Amino acid sequence: MSNGLAGLVHDAAVLHRFVDFLEEYCKEQKRSQSYVDASGLFFDYVEKLAQGIKRMLAKEIDRAARFPNRLPLLRRQFLTLKYYLRLLHALLKPAADAHTLTIPAPLIDLASEQIQRVDSMRNSKIVILLTPEFMYFQEPHTRIKEQATIVESFVPDAIFPSQLGFIELPYSQGPSFFTNLAIYHEIGHFVFEELTRMAHPGVQALRSATNSSLKKIFHGRQIFAIVRRIVDDWIQEIFCDLFAIRLMGPAFSFALVEILGMLGFLSRKAAVKFSPTHPASACRFAEHVNMLEEDSWWNAISDIHADQKDLLKRLSDIPRTSYRFYVDDNTLGSQSLVEAFVDFVIPAIRKLVREITPSPARAVKRFQEARQGIEDCLRAGVIPHSPSKNVDPISIINSSFCFCLTSLSDVIEKFEGHAGTSDVTKQSLWTKRLEMWTMKAVEDSQILQRFRTAQSHGLI
Amino acid sequence: MASAELQDRSQYLSLALFSQKVISVLMEYVDENKSAKLKSALEEALNLLVQPEQPSSRRRHAAFSSYEHLRTLDEVWSTKERLEATKIVKALLRAPKDERSKSAAEKLILLFSKLQDQALWNFEQPKPVSQKVMRRLCQMA
Repeated sequence: MSNGLAGLVHDAAVLHRFVDFLEEYCKEQKRSQSYVDASGLFFDYVEKLAQGIKRMLAKEIDRAARFPNRLPLLRRQFLTLKYYLRLLHALLKPAADAHTLTIPAPLIDLASEQIQRVDSMRNSKIVILLTPEFMYFQEPHTRIKEQATIVESFVPDAIFPSQLGFIELPYSQGPSFFTNLAIYHEIGHFVFEELTRMAHPGVQALRSATNSSLKKIFHGRQIFAIVRRIVDDWIQEIFCDLFAIRLMGPAFSFALVEILGMLGFLSRKAAVKFSPTHPASACRFAEHVNMLEEDSWWNAISDIHADQKDLLKRLSDIPRTSYRFYVDDNTLGSQSLVEAFVDFVIPAIRKLVREITPSPARAVKRFQEARQGIEDCLRAGVIPHSPSKNVDPISIINSSFCFCLTSLSDVIEKFEGHAGTSDVTKQSLWTKRLEMWTMKAVEDSQILQRFRTAQSHGLI
Repeated sequence: MASAELQDRSQYLSLALFSQKVISVLMEYVDENKSAKLKSALEEALNLLVQPEQPSSRRRHAAFSSYEHLRTLDEVWSTKERLEATKIVKALLRAPKDERSKSAAEKLILLFSKLQDQALWNFEQPKPVSQKVMRRLCQMA
């Protein structure tokens, strides 16, 4: 391949084709599907970026003609941009797949609405990505934003939408409801990243508590960077769990117990293990129970007798002195790191979560008032509703999940006969029905709420 | 459930893009005598060069205190080159109109070009955290 101007033009043409495709792809998706708002903003960004890069390419070729000594630098510039586009490319297809027919849109709407009530997150929006991985995941967006900010210096018209988060859902779980409550944890990652990015005072305080406790134990530039990264990951996991509980209540804990149980993380041996990326499950669930107790949720579900709840309690009761950090499967890591984390860092995380999230006191009260009515509807095989008042989504979700854990077999027996309770197909079918009723009830509640808001503003 | 691998790789790309930003600004300065963006880009570069150990929250550009960034810097620049880069940045910030500044800027372009190359290489071929570092961590237990 030519190293001269022709080579540069060749590289530019390849990049031009690439961005041209991305631009057209975004336009086509917007034309043919319906998306949550945030996805549209992301597609708009990619379109503008593509247009800007095309203009930039022409400009840089002109520069190369005037200053031929710059050719290698300009070629590397194109390559760097191409790598950035590779990251966007990886996000684009899963975002396009996540149109409203493939995701639990009412749950996403609810989550978006809730995070906008979190301190400093008023303008936040969530793009959903459908992934082939069987894993919920928050695509770290801070780096993309940092990169986008740098790219703005070459392509000034393309401004990355502020407070945009990316949450991945396994494509097979799109239609599910209860499992998808795990997105609240992932949203926690998004919120934590945003608060970090904007240097929120609560996060600063947490960071300084962390740094001062670690600096007493670990010395050296690289080792400190590694340890800090490990602890940052642990912090985020605990933060995200507690954040999710504050917004969603015990239903989130039940969902997480199911997910981690399925992944094999809840055996006694595995549950006490801290890894370089995750705190021990026992530690996480101890924090769940602590938060649920302090917020009165635990008391509100005291009459629920479900395996998931018992497991949650058993894990939370494991003494903290049993926790161990493993660098890999067999290598024991620093115990003082775990101790510092439990003694100094976790209290600071709890404080931060309480500071930024609204108190759930009213949600707990509403749940206690509405639960019986919701369960009566589900037992009768109808979508939960109330003729006299709008039942709020958090009550619907928690009541339905509790009902699913404790009384699903009653419903199956009622409609399918006793034999149905041990029939796996029927169990699966009725779980799906229960989830659909729950999702519809949440959607109805949202529509009614929007109607009432519009009415109160005199718009209807 | 964060994917550390993707995040780590992405950090190399941030460094490559940042290097590009510095190079672009320096090229404009040397070739076209334009210095509108010079000051802010060089201040960010200085941040990268002189404060790698300070917590990111206290730094204007929060991107360059990660293990990946420090490692790439160590891989590509000797201590002498790092000091030279710092010296040039400071001189350019102090006296951008000085006659000798343009040849110094050329040197800086070369240094950042090396850094960009290595960051792109690491992005393409990410290496896990070295065993040596991990062993040291374990020994502290």
